[in-house]
Amino acid sequence: MVLVFVDSGEDELSRQALAFARGFEEETVGVTLDGAYAPAAWGEAIAEEAKARGPSAVIGPGTDRGNEVLAHVAATLNLPMAANCVSVTPGAPATVTRMRWGGSLLEEARVHGAPLLLTVAPHAVAAEATEVELTRLAAQVDGSAGVVERVQTSTAGVSLADASVVVSGGRGVGSAEGFAVIEELARLLGGAVGCSRAVTSAGWRPHTDQVGQTGTKISPEIYIACGISGATQHMAGCKGAKKLLAINPDAEASIFASADYAVIGDLHEVVPAISEEIRKARAK
Amino acid sequence: MNILVCVKRVPLTGGKIVLTDDQRAISTRHLGFTISPHEECAAEEAVRLIERHGGSSAVLTLGPPEAEEQLRDVMAIGVDRAVHLVTDGEEWDPQATASAIVEAVRAEDEPFDLLLFGNESADAGNYQVAIRVAHALGLPCVTGVKGLSIDDGRVRCEQEVAGGRDVYDVPMPALVTVKEGLNLPRYPSVPGRLRAKRKPVAASNPARPESRLEMVRLLLPPGSGKQVEVLGHGAQAAPAVVGVLRELGLV
Amino acid sequence: MLVAALVLAAAVAVSATLFAVRVGFLLRLLRAAPSVERTGDVPRRVQNEATIVLGQRKLLQRLGPGLAHAFIFWGFLVLLPTILIALIGAVDKRSTLPWLGHQGWYALLQDIFAVLVLVGVLSALWIRKVQRPRRFEGSHLGEADLILALIATIATTLLLWHACRIALALNEWPRAWSPVSNALSHLFGRDEATRVLERVLVWAHVLTILAFLAYLPRSKHLHIFTAAVNVWFGRTAHRGRLEPLRFDDPDVPEDELRFGAGTAADLNFKELLDTFSCTECGRCQDACPAWATGKVLSPKLVIMGLRDQVLAQDPSALVPQAVPEESVWDCVTCGACVQACPVSIEHIDHIVDLRRHLVMVESSFPAEAEPMLRDVERASNPWGKAQSERADWASALGVRVLEAGEKAPEYLYWVGCASSFDERARRTAESTAKLLQAAGVEFAILGPRESCTGDPARRIGNEYVFQAFAEQNVEVLNDAGATKLVTGCPHCFNTLANEYPDFGGEFEVVHHSELLSQLVSEGRLRPHSNGQAITYHDSCYLARHNDVLEAPRALVAAVGEPVEMHRSRRSTFCCGAGGAHMWMEERGTPINAERVREAAATGADTLAVACPFCTVMLDDGVQGIGSDMRVVDVATLLAEAVEDGPSRPTS
Repeated sequence: MVLVFVDSGEDELSRQALAFARGFEEETVGVTLDGAYAPAAWGEAIAEEAKARGPSAVIGPGTDRGNEVLAHVAATLNLPMAANCVSVTPGAPATVTRMRWGGSLLEEARVHGAPLLLTVAPHAVAAEATEVELTRLAAQVDGSAGVVERVQTSTAGVSLADASVVVSGGRGVGSAEGFAVIEELARLLGGAVGCSRAVTSAGWRPHTDQVGQTGTKISPEIYIACGISGATQHMAGCKGAKKLLAINPDAEASIFASADYAVIGDLHEVVPAISEEIRKARAK
Repeated sequence: MNILVCVKRVPLTGGKIVLTDDQRAISTRHLGFTISPHEECAAEEAVRLIERHGGSSAVLTLGPPEAEEQLRDVMAIGVDRAVHLVTDGEEWDPQATASAIVEAVRAEDEPFDLLLFGNESADAGNYQVAIRVAHALGLPCVTGVKGLSIDDGRVRCEQEVAGGRDVYDVPMPALVTVKEGLNLPRYPSVPGRLRAKRKPVAASNPARPESRLEMVRLLLPPGSGKQVEVLGHGAQAAPAVVGVLRELGLV
Repeated sequence: MLVAALVLAAAVAVSATLFAVRVGFLLRLLRAAPSVERTGDVPRRVQNEATIVLGQRKLLQRLGPGLAHAFIFWGFLVLLPTILIALIGAVDKRSTLPWLGHQGWYALLQDIFAVLVLVGVLSALWIRKVQRPRRFEGSHLGEADLILALIATIATTLLLWHACRIALALNEWPRAWSPVSNALSHLFGRDEATRVLERVLVWAHVLTILAFLAYLPRSKHLHIFTAAVNVWFGRTAHRGRLEPLRFDDPDVPEDELRFGAGTAADLNFKELLDTFSCTECGRCQDACPAWATGKVLSPKLVIMGLRDQVLAQDPSALVPQAVPEESVWDCVTCGACVQACPVSIEHIDHIVDLRRHLVMVESSFPAEAEPMLRDVERASNPWGKAQSERADWASALGVRVLEAGEKAPEYLYWVGCASSFDERARRTAESTAKLLQAAGVEFAILGPRESCTGDPARRIGNEYVFQAFAEQNVEVLNDAGATKLVTGCPHCFNTLANEYPDFGGEFEVVHHSELLSQLVSEGRLRPHSNGQAITYHDSCYLARHNDVLEAPRALVAAVGEPVEMHRSRRSTFCCGAGGAHMWMEERGTPINAERVREAAATGADTLAVACPFCTVMLDDGVQGIGSDMRVVDVATLLAEAVEDGPSRPTS
């Protein structure tokens, strides 16, 4: 039996975790917790459930919350935990292939401990829409660090993490004002504006716009990267993109190795031209 | 207040990752080194908190002798002293790393009010060392923090989630992992760097236990096998681009 | 006569005291200032005194104002003894200076030069009041007017005094020796009125001089003493070299180490002397590309601001009080100001020292430059790309990459970060490599072991990071036994040739255009010309800082028809990338746009350059103004001319 920590079972990444769990070819039981999020308490509750039910594995989605809760489970049970796995071979010891460097590198590792604790790298497997038995656990939250308040932040426009179109600018944009052409294209496509780490370091855009390993990880239908050379930490943030169009004057830029489509040219020429073409196409 | 920041020396990989012949490490020939952006923000936060509330700070790393460079970098922005758990360059798994850190913390004369970590290391990305340390020390733990303030012995933490921020309020001593974006790390001054050269580094050589998350080998992700389609050069490529966008239903 | 002598003695005493007190104050400031090593190369310093000071060479670059000043200056020199003659004559109208006072030819000289002085003063007044050139914007014109008035008074009273003496037959030489005074003497009769007037005039002359003496060290006219000294202490060689700082002086306690100029007390001896030598002439302001494109920076105002704060002994921070922050960052270190200055003020040193303090102590600098600084330090290049990829451009060409432990062949080709990582600059490296191979030159590159020379870090003010790279690169080069370096980047060239010797790196450094033009003249490369009109843009770091002017021109002439821009050679107009501006934003009218307009106006289709920064900046500029001009490095032009069609000797 495999226990799977899910948020509600409804969200995409939880369903991916469930699909991943089916690879064990054992009974899949989803566990979820109600109430305000309290990571240590939730981890303990899941650990207790695991002690009671003796699963061969306890897995969760490779989200912030999933990684955190599974880490607490691991700490409680003093067991190893493999985060962001893309595949698993059950056994004693089990072998996993997991992500390093935000996905730019993979690690094959043996996990010496039972039950096997792991989280599933986002988009490593496709989600399945099948029913699953959900066990609701109750956590002992008293005295444990937990969420006391939710502050809503108003995001004007589309949120970067959820956008189905993201248009990003890198060093090649040259200035904060230079982003106007990026913003225009994003607006025309109903997308969000992103940027590389060099841009936030230069003070041209806020960190909330940063796409990358330490920024926001995006998974749009199309990612248009303008003037971005393709450093691994940036690519780690956009691996989830279904299609990648790179616009860069340097034909040798490493981003082209990961791109679906390429335009060799200066974004200050290319991006306005694309926007103009879109306007013309829509006017017809 | 007494604050500890934990950091890890990682290579700056650039545009592509190259492995050593035995596939057990990244080839770091001609690579520069740094600490993860999350950890840079953690170090900056430590210095700011001490500036505001008074006290002292320390930076700790588990790493090879060369990691002293990162310790000096952190001390250059104002952290007072360093603890170097020196390894021979072999990797330590998360549990081993956490144990070594816990032992070093317990060996300190003065307890820490706040332990700051990066949310995850840039390289291994195991997301768990800090949490294990918190468990072992019996500390409340909040992760992924992007906003932090201290008042009257308590820490108010803000964690970014979809649509907003989750707020935690925990008593000190506490352990917090932070994410880039928490603050804007300062650029070290030269007087700061010169002072850092002479700040104390307490070094020890802990023995590495057996790995329970045992790395077998590293491998590059399989290329998607896709061939990049060059749509054109310069502004002339615009119609072809719009063609693609049309296929995706965006135009 | 005794009364006269006593009164004169008192006047002299007062004037001399006022003079001495002020000069003493200035000397104390100079003595307290950190010293600078500027004592070597004496023959060159003597030569500078002869040409720049006595010969007024820099001033005469503008003929009108130059001559006006030269007349006044030479007149001052020739008429110096007349001060003594007047002092003696004020006491006893029958006495004069021994020997010289009796010489008719000296009377002639006095007449001629007094007139020249007046011509000079009147020309100066005409320039200032009628022409009103823009270089005086910000200068204290009132003070200048007063000084000109005093000079005019001195010259006029001298002539009129002589006229009276002639009318009174007091002189021993024939009237013909003093044509002007003689002509004026006909205004006066040989009578009591003239006798009184003669006394009045000599005393007016003497008292004006004494008043001027007291005023002199309190005004910009101090330059008559300081300018000559400042010229002596100017750079005689290695114009592009900045003075290194010491971070590890065992004799200086750490909290007293100097990291650039934060307050007036940090300015070194030469910088202080610079501020005492400035006459607010504005030639530097006129030459400055930042000022020309509407930025805040005026080199003149920088020196004036520093001077005012020094003289006021104001201990507060120099930035922003003496120099606005924008001025500090607007500078592209092109050196046009230093070149224009007639009194050898070296403005770049001031600006870099201000930057050093801001960057290294305050950590205050334009935010957009922070990624560059962090990347230089951590990734060893300002592009932040992996050093392991540095030689990727070379692999397809089979260029030899020198491994650790290997010894360098005849030439070490220092590629530079720009040509390694920027796609436009990379073509230059490819062309250069192909040309060297075609000519059979033995060379190698360091590849990933070549780190940034540190130039952008040094120019933005981070001397600490620069020195780390200087030491590292010198070690790598020395270990490789490199003796001859060839580089395509003038910034690398300047640093390798002029600045690395301070860190133990003594190499013979040539610019790629020098080596390539040598190969062409030796017949080892045979380009053929296609007659296209090509205008060549001189890189500031190549032309102005390092005098490499003809080699790139030889290459242009070998492949096409050269067309010169007006601002060329050492008068070149910057592309805008120097002083770390390649990584900084520019507000207002871009400097590169200004330059490409000038290039486009020549009608040439091709704009040739010899620097990777110029390549990028001018190419951006050309696109910005919508021109079709092709911006291309001389190496690429040569490579195309060697490949295209049959080769034949150029002779």
